Amino acid sequence: MLKKTYRVNDMYCANCAMRIEGLEDDLPGVKTVVASYKKGQMVVEFDEKIVTEAQIMAAVARLGYTAVAG
Amino acid sequence: MEQLVLAFITGLTTGGLSCLAVQGGLLAGSLARQIEQDLLTAPAGGKGGPRPNTALPIALFLAAKLAAYTLLGALLGLAGSFLTLDPITRAVLMIAIGVFMVGNGLRMLNVHPIFRYFIIEPPRFITRYIRRTAKGGKTDFSTPLFLGALTALIPCGVTQAMMAAALGTGRAAAGAALMFAFTLGTSPVFFIVAYLATELGARLQSYFLRFVAVVVLILGLVTIEGGLNVLGSPLSFANLTAGLQPAAQVPAITPAPAPISAPLPTAAAATGTQKAAAPPTANAPAAGPVAGPGNAQITLELTVLNNGYVPKVLRAPANRPVSLALTTNKTYSCARDFVIPALKYYQLLPETGRVTVEIPAQKPGTVMRFACSMGMYTGQILFDG
Repeated sequence: MLKKTYRVNDMYCANCAMRIEGLEDDLPGVKTVVASYKKGQMVVEFDEKIVTEAQIMAAVARLGYTAVAG
Repeated sequence: MEQLVLAFITGLTTGGLSCLAVQGGLLAGSLARQIEQDLLTAPAGGKGGPRPNTALPIALFLAAKLAAYTLLGALLGLAGSFLTLDPITRAVLMIAIGVFMVGNGLRMLNVHPIFRYFIIEPPRFITRYIRRTAKGGKTDFSTPLFLGALTALIPCGVTQAMMAAALGTGRAAAGAALMFAFTLGTSPVFFIVAYLATELGARLQSYFLRFVAVVVLILGLVTIEGGLNVLGSPLSFANLTAGLQPAAQVPAITPAPAPISAPLPTAAAATGTQKAAAPPTANAPAAGPVAGPGNAQITLELTVLNNGYVPKVLRAPANRPVSLALTTNKTYSCARDFVIPALKYYQLLPETGRVTVEIPAQKPGTVMRFACSMGMYTGQILFDG
């Protein structure tokens, strides 16, 4: 299980964070997503054997946001 | 009433889009199962016109939202009533609300990440609960009703600004009315966009986000201005520009036989000469200050209209008490809530009638400001030596 932090600077409201956190229900292998509009970041806990970072970033992109590692 | 109209228009123009942007997911969630079922039961070869069963869940969602926000407004107004100890407290609250709104406007304009702290993020367990409720929605009508009510927990920036204004009303009924008007205003956009099932909301949001931000920013500045006016601050826009008015209007002076209520502080004032008021001129000093005979009552006349005070600038003699007569005639606006901050005087005037305020002797050069309790209408009395 990996825990990684990503910068998501293009959230424009607190509810963007809610949408991004929905990935924990939608993306298999993702255990938790804690997104913060104020901090402009998300912390994802995921099983690297099931889902890759690239897939997570692609899923965030589908929601209309840009996740950058770090 | 003006505030309610303003709240409705704000909801109609900016609130609807802003709310749709952040709460649209909930609406979609509540409709998803309904639409899915409609599609399954639709006759084969249908042209895909408007889904007949979609309107009802949307309407239920919006009705629940309206009820929830009205209740929220009542609670905020009630909470505000405990804070509204006096006009000064209200003014401070207004300024705080205004700063919150300006901060939100700047946040929406993405001026600096620091302004993100001006929004209140709901706790994670709430957002998670809402999200999962939306996704696991049942096909009955309780889901849109429930989700509509839950939108009160995830207000958008404009709604938060309006909630702050509801708090500032200081009355449960006024807070409820304000939130009702605002939420009602947001409903058409919500309904139309949801019913047409297009991506209009997202597109409009990208175009109008800046517009929304500017409106919130302006509303915030207006609120701060109101607060400063109620405080009698010389820094408010109205008070800063009051000095630029072409002429200080001179009130009618009413000599009255009644003795003044306080002893005259100076002999000079006591021996002044009563002069008839000169008509307003382009150069105020020419009109000059007025003073009454030793024991004559000086009464300044102020007419309280629905759209403000006439005259806006009064002149009075310094160093002696004066009376300020406030006349209302079918006045229903907030101009009735009359405040003189320097005297800590606050009075809700009758809709029609006359109320007299006794003003103690003031030093020459004193500028005594007055305003309505919302800070929308202002005026001042200049005390001449």
